[in-house]
Amino acid sequence: MKTNLTPIIAALTRQRGVRGSLLVDETDGVIIDATLHVGMKGPAFAALAASLYRKARLSADAAGLGGVTFLRLRATEGHVCAAGKNDMVLVIVADAHANIGLIRMEMLKALERVVL
Amino acid sequence: MADEIRRLSEELARDPASPVYLQLGEALRRGGQLDLALKVALRGLERHPHEADAHDLLARIAVDRGELERAFDEWDMVRRIAPAHLGARKGMGYVLFKQGKYTEAQTYLSEASELDGEDETVATALAMVRVKLREAEGARGAQGARGAPGADPSTTSLEHIEHLEHLEHLSLFDEITVGGEHTALLLDATGLVMAGTYVTQDGRDVAQEIGAELSGVSDEARRAMRHLGLGDWSSLTVETDAAVVAMAPMRDDALLLVAASKAMPLGLVHRVLDRCAERATAWLKQGGA
Repeated sequence: MKTNLTPIIAALTRQRGVRGSLLVDETDGVIIDATLHVGMKGPAFAALAASLYRKARLSADAAGLGGVTFLRLRATEGHVCAAGKNDMVLVIVADAHANIGLIRMEMLKALERVVL
Repeated sequence: MADEIRRLSEELARDPASPVYLQLGEALRRGGQLDLALKVALRGLERHPHEADAHDLLARIAVDRGELERAFDEWDMVRRIAPAHLGARKGMGYVLFKQGKYTEAQTYLSEASELDGEDETVATALAMVRVKLREAEGARGAQGARGAPGADPSTTSLEHIEHLEHLEHLSLFDEITVGGEHTALLLDATGLVMAGTYVTQDGRDVAQEIGAELSGVSDEARRAMRHLGLGDWSSLTVETDAAVVAMAPMRDDALLLVAASKAMPLGLVHRVLDRCAERATAWLKQGGA
């Protein structure tokens, strides 16, 4: 089902190397909107990414480092990036060779446009 | 970076007298091309022998090459040419810190602080020096207590040296985390600090608190990667309002953590993380002591 957020999410997925992008509720890890390549397990991915982002946000806050603006997890076969706003987390999963600098910039721009 | 170096090189080729050699030398230094950076700085100095920033650049290149004495001399030259040069005081303080001359380091860093009380790197470096001075003072106190009546002076002297050597884990990453612009910690599987320091501007070492809070994030990363099938995680970078924190898994479930100011480019933070990881791996292989 398309929502008014779908074009923003879909534009991120069109970036080279991006396998999927999701807007997730940070508190319960439920998908608000998503555009995923075939074969990606959306709900599981959303829950794990939201949990990771939430943990990072709470830990950084407890450590006196302020709010989290961006998170990037690099693994041997890909990247997970997340950026949050108003209890929502914008998450992407990308290939190992994706241009993360560009994706980061696009994610932060996209997050500015997300209004619920 | 490569484009910037090319552009600066072309500019310098067009006008060899241009001060752009300072930017070019710095770009090469940051890119790890130290021999080229040195060449550019020396050629610049031939044309501008009384340019304080050129001597400052040469000093920073010398630090990266591990030539601390040369770096100190260059910064001393900077101080003579430009008595109010902040970087020279910071640099001389850093070299003396590396050489274990904490009292002298404190003098230069205090002078730097007087020149610019707002500079966070000076405040952090000064705080670290004061921590070291307190530790050395504590070690002397402990040695004094042990070496009370009847102790063999030669034995107490050796104990004193051994005690100080036990503090070396605090400075494991000092050569990499130059000038207090970033800091590195090595945490064990339970989040306890094994090496490194994290000193706040008011001189408190908060390594344990930071380590305990942030090490939990790596557990979450490990869990997520296991379920997502993206392979083993190699780094986790968290940008916050105040800092950039990068983490990497180490052997025996240890965790390396590098924190830097938000002003530091992300790519550079990752380079620092990689270098700290190499250092930590070697240290852990030696038994972590």
